[in-house]
Amino acid sequence: MTATVAREGSASAGPSPAIHTVDLAKHYGDVAALSALSMSVPRGEVFGFLGPNGAGKTTAVKLLLGLTFPTGGEAFVLGAPIGDRETRRKIGYLPELFRYQDWLSASEVLAFHCVLAGVAKSARTKQIHNALETVGLAKRASDRVGSYSKGMQQRLGLAVALIGEPELILLDEPTSALDPVGRREVRDVLHSLKQRGVTVFLNSHLLTEVEQVCDRVAIVDRGRVIAIGPLAEITGDGWSVRIRLVRSSPELLEALRPFGQPAEEEDGTAIVIRGASPDRVPDAIAALVRAGARITAVEPNRRSLEDQFIRLLHGSADAAARDR
Amino acid sequence: MPLLAIASLTLREAARRRVILAVALLSLIVIGLSAWGFERLHTMSVVQGRPSPSEAAATYALLTVMLAQMFSFVLAVGAAFLAAPSIAGEVESGVALVVLPRPIRRSDVLLGKWLGLSVLLALYALGAGGLELMVVKLITGYAPPHPFIALGFIAFQGIALLTLALALSTRLASITGGIVALVMYGVSWLAQPGATAAAIFHNEGLQHACTVITLLVPTGGLWRGAAFALEPVLIAAMSGTTQGANPITVSNPPTTPFLFWAAGWIVVVLLLGIRSFNKRDI
Repeated sequence: MTATVAREGSASAGPSPAIHTVDLAKHYGDVAALSALSMSVPRGEVFGFLGPNGAGKTTAVKLLLGLTFPTGGEAFVLGAPIGDRETRRKIGYLPELFRYQDWLSASEVLAFHCVLAGVAKSARTKQIHNALETVGLAKRASDRVGSYSKGMQQRLGLAVALIGEPELILLDEPTSALDPVGRREVRDVLHSLKQRGVTVFLNSHLLTEVEQVCDRVAIVDRGRVIAIGPLAEITGDGWSVRIRLVRSSPELLEALRPFGQPAEEEDGTAIVIRGASPDRVPDAIAALVRAGARITAVEPNRRSLEDQFIRLLHGSADAAARDR
Repeated sequence: MPLLAIASLTLREAARRRVILAVALLSLIVIGLSAWGFERLHTMSVVQGRPSPSEAAATYALLTVMLAQMFSFVLAVGAAFLAAPSIAGEVESGVALVVLPRPIRRSDVLLGKWLGLSVLLALYALGAGGLELMVVKLITGYAPPHPFIALGFIAFQGIALLTLALALSTRLASITGGIVALVMYGVSWLAQPGATAAAIFHNEGLQHACTVITLLVPTGGLWRGAAFALEPVLIAAMSGTTQGANPITVSNPPTTPFLFWAAGWIVVVLLLGIRSFNKRDI
């Protein structure tokens, strides 16, 4: 794996990164919600921020927005220290646990946020219309938010995040309440934001979704970044091949040794070769046949982000146990 | 301007959630019932001569003070229960998570809510209280000596309690903040007759404690201003004979330094609320 592990270097020359943190920490008494977060997110990227529950993802987002105050380290958003009021004009945010004034209509909620975001009066109607069109709520714009389903409220949340034409959008689990069609639409929105040069900071548990939209990802555990880099580097070139057969044997495993790390699975009816290069699979199959194997299926698999996510977390847990 | 947008939203919320409608309807019912009572009393006085005109006038005055006290209490409860959830409720529900990241100061949110709720309370005090006094005047011909000053004091008292509940709302859960504000209002109200009774019995310790309570929470002292403005000279004099040791009538208005103290108290409590909100993790 070639991804940068644990810490990425300081901000590169040129325009300031969209987000840059150095040992950012938040403690509540003796409890560390975030230990020492160091990372840099260049402008214009769709950046995935991943981690298990309690890793400090939402705390990190709240710190970046000035909603909570750090107890250590420092951070910059769009080149300004976190919490800077003028910089917040360029930021959109959809929280995970959100709620809007349920006695207002969607267009009234957006109009209120236009005022708060300092959108010029002349531009408000257009921005509200565009935001509602983008998230597919134009036909329900006059309905009270209280009558919306959870999914529709999440769409409204995304529309609110788009108000003010932000340069940076932080989305905390933006598709958790959406059906597959809604998720697809949100992915399309993220792609179009990227084309417009907007930086998207995506905090999501849905790793397959992250794989589809993110340029780079960071994986956090116990408040620290344990891996950060382009998606391809995080997942690496890790291929595996699952060979289903009538019966495995030590001789068959030995015959596969030159092609990777073979292991018996599924009560001896399958062998998985980890680290196998895809172009050597035909040779491996030929070797098996020569050794007397009766093969029923061959399934090559690329290592998924989920596999790598779990592998990294296990590594992080082992390291933490050793430190103790 | 964010502050005015939040003030306007606060007023719209009260209207949309039918707070204004519910309170207006209940107030109209109370005013209607009191009008019926005053009309009966007035008719008995005119037709049967009992009570005598002077007894009737004294009764009108006392009843007017008691009705004003009821409106004042409704206003206090309204102030506590509208203001206590205004910050805490939005933090608990998640509304604050989408409002506060906007390029606004947290003080804009707090002051906007204070402004919106203060306008609402002042309108209620002037509207419902004014209508009640007008109805009494129309039916009985009785008008208190300083009705507008009385209504001003009632609004002042409501705004003071609203400020306290709003400041508490930056730290305490909605229900806790509301209850604490109401308890403080009750203690402050009780401190007024308590201080006079302590003076009668020469209990200096209790007297000082009551004075401190009145200064810490000036709502009770402000109610004295409303009551005094509603009392005819005769009632105030009668109250003087008991040295003010009853919870309904008063013999003296609050002093000018106290009024400055109360105004300054509102400013200080607001600033403390802003400071507390600014330091709070959301």
